[in-house]
Amino acid sequence: MDVNFPPLVALLLFPGGAFLLFSGLVFEYIDRKLVARFQNRYGPRWFQPLADVVKLLAKEEIIPTGVVKSLFVGLPVIALTAALTSALYVPLFGFKPVFSFQGDLIVTLYLLSVMTLCIGLAGANTEDRFSLIGATRALTQLFSYEAPFLLALLGPAIALQTWNIREINAGAGSGLWFIIAQPIGFVVAMVGLMGKLELPPFDAPEAETEIVAGAFTEYSGRGFAIFKIGRDVELVIGLTLVASFYLGGFNSPLDFLWKTLLLLFVTAALQSLFARLRIDQTVGMWWRVGVLMVLLQLVVIIVGQHLAPIIQPVIQSLFGG
Amino acid sequence: MTIGSMFGDIFKSLFKKPITEQYPFVKMEVPENLRGKLIWNPEKCTGCMLCIKDCPSNGIELLVVDKVNKKFVMRYNIDRCTFCAQCVESCRFGCIEMSDEMWELASTRKEPFEVFYGRDEDIKFLLENSAKGETETPC
Amino acid sequence: MEPKTAPEKFIVPIGPQHPALKEPGHFEFTVEGEVVTNATARLGFVHRGMEKGAENRTWIQGLYLMERVCGICSHVHALAFALGVEKLAGVQAPPRAQAIRELVSELERIHSHLLWLGVAAHEGGFDTLFMFSWRDRETVMDLLETISGNRVNYSANVLGGVKIDISDKQADAIRKGMDFLEERTQHYLKVVTEDETFLGRTRNIGVMSFEQADFLGAIGPTGRASGVKRDVRVDSPYTAYNDFPVKLITHTHGDLEARFIVRIQELYESYRLVRELVDKMPTGDLSVKVPRRIPEGEVISRVEAPRGELLYFIKSNGSDTPERIKVRTPSLCNWSSVLVTAVGHNLADMPMILAGIDPCFSCNDRIVTVNRKTDSTQMDWEDLRQFGIEYYKWM
Repeated sequence: MDVNFPPLVALLLFPGGAFLLFSGLVFEYIDRKLVARFQNRYGPRWFQPLADVVKLLAKEEIIPTGVVKSLFVGLPVIALTAALTSALYVPLFGFKPVFSFQGDLIVTLYLLSVMTLCIGLAGANTEDRFSLIGATRALTQLFSYEAPFLLALLGPAIALQTWNIREINAGAGSGLWFIIAQPIGFVVAMVGLMGKLELPPFDAPEAETEIVAGAFTEYSGRGFAIFKIGRDVELVIGLTLVASFYLGGFNSPLDFLWKTLLLLFVTAALQSLFARLRIDQTVGMWWRVGVLMVLLQLVVIIVGQHLAPIIQPVIQSLFGG
Repeated sequence: MTIGSMFGDIFKSLFKKPITEQYPFVKMEVPENLRGKLIWNPEKCTGCMLCIKDCPSNGIELLVVDKVNKKFVMRYNIDRCTFCAQCVESCRFGCIEMSDEMWELASTRKEPFEVFYGRDEDIKFLLENSAKGETETPC
Repeated sequence: MEPKTAPEKFIVPIGPQHPALKEPGHFEFTVEGEVVTNATARLGFVHRGMEKGAENRTWIQGLYLMERVCGICSHVHALAFALGVEKLAGVQAPPRAQAIRELVSELERIHSHLLWLGVAAHEGGFDTLFMFSWRDRETVMDLLETISGNRVNYSANVLGGVKIDISDKQADAIRKGMDFLEERTQHYLKVVTEDETFLGRTRNIGVMSFEQADFLGAIGPTGRASGVKRDVRVDSPYTAYNDFPVKLITHTHGDLEARFIVRIQELYESYRLVRELVDKMPTGDLSVKVPRRIPEGEVISRVEAPRGELLYFIKSNGSDTPERIKVRTPSLCNWSSVLVTAVGHNLADMPMILAGIDPCFSCNDRIVTVNRKTDSTQMDWEDLRQFGIEYYKWM
């Protein structure tokens, strides 16, 4: 939809800013509720994520000894800022992106990675052994899924010959949806999204039974709340990107709602089906299976584009004439 | 080698009601054999004290009002009882049994956890005596 | 005690408080990158002094104290104690009592193995299997509550027999429960042996060869998964295992997957035994009188807990309180297998290897006196407390 929001309103209130934070909480609730229903139990009530955030903000923030204090306090804020900034370039809630320029696809993806870098730095900052291991795993996972995820999102970009998210959004709706035209790319993008958000089965950096809470072990109170909110915002933006590229773009808020919720349903199902993968299994899987699949997909796209001027008249003459 | 072998389970769970019991709004039925609160029948008691000797946690005491006429009062400390039912087994006359109530043992005061059993006049006699200031040695 | 400077090696403490452990115990894994190069253990956080406590209580009171050594295997502790005392007193429980004792033992084994399945799946990150197996465990807990009146610590034993009886209605409920559980267990066996991600976490992890298991003294399902053929129910049958025998189940591979398979197949054996017991329960009395003063003597009684062989040494001096009771629980024998097989694996496998032996920390902690003839210090309460604070500050 083409509604022009004044930039300040978009940044602070709607569709970015406060509304985005609130919708991140709603998406987290839906995700937890779906996973619970898959496991034959009730799950939390609608205000649970909000209650978690309020409770965490009310608790004391303990700063352990041996950390660089400015980094400790500042890293969660930087992570959340990066996530909120990347929201300005994606078609949030079905409205067109507030800012757009050629190449903003790359910028958005890197802004989303800033969050993982912040997690890695936050874990390396402390003396706690669990945080160090969690930070190492987070950065290892970043190196392994980043390439296939980016390439999978490039599939529609190459097919539409543009690097601009707004144009990809507009172009994805016309013609065949990319989920049917590029199924392998869709699978890689979905799994890459789960790796980026550290959802099970790729939650090795935050494995509860092995390293307590990974990089977040020493965080409490306000810092932890800001990291949690940052993760939820990233969930929304990641789903928006994958849905807008592969499920035919967004024309209106209703369109946005059902497409992202469908993807969230699939994500929740995938979360409850598998055991946790070890970090070396994650890296092995990505660098062997993931990259090969997505490269195969790209080769098919490029070959298809070059052969299209030759094949199309042939097909038309066969069936049309 | 299957991927996602629990898929059938999670798919069926979407259509079934969750198995969680919504306690305290919905409470399960208590089985009839539940070892709940002790109930003592003073009519058959002869004062042999076997149950007191066998209790692992000193949860019951027998206070003597009149030994010759077999008037006793039993003081039952619910917070000490482990609900093992050894006293039920030890009593040769079948005076003690375990009912199926009091399985929610939470209270904000200490009084509900000390119960007196006996004939009414015996209990009244005992409480009057303690009110007069005679000390009873605690167990 | 001076503070240590920065450690030379990177030691990860799976410490007294950790989400991987359900009970406190301290493990230090020396890690290089993600690979473990050394492992040490320290136990004793849940010592409660039960052996000493039993010396001040009569035999009947001691039965209920021993039952509470462990929550998951409470019935076999009471059973071992009762069997030992009955042997000292020279009585034998009637056949119906023995059959009911075996029935409750097998039901407890079912409950313990289903609990372990869920916990081990949770350590591997497979929460769905955890939730479903614990949902099915509720069936057997309800059955035990119907029979004995309590879900945990079913005080079914008395010295000389049992105090509970099985009516026809309860027998029907037991049969229905067993049918339901058998169907679900077949599904779990399929999941455990075929699911790709779960196999990636269990196949060839924590492999213990037969020689290693024999040398380290691994018992119970942990040892049987490596081929060690030891099971007290088969080697020296107690209660009714002569009339209702059990098959010995072993596996050869010795990795985590083998331990899963051995325990699930023991579940099948238990279902078959329970059905047989309910169908062919002998009639008769429920208990026999045991004197209050047990004659002098020493006795060893061994039973098969869900985790392995449980050993009680009971010494009586003719009065109505025991002189010495020594409890040796099965988890104590299996720790060395963890420390030996952990070397060379990733840190991520440590919780599953720990959970693979089915540890029960509260059973474990007994006092061992070490006689150091060289030096001795005397500490009073304040010194001891200060020592503890200093020791843990730089851990």
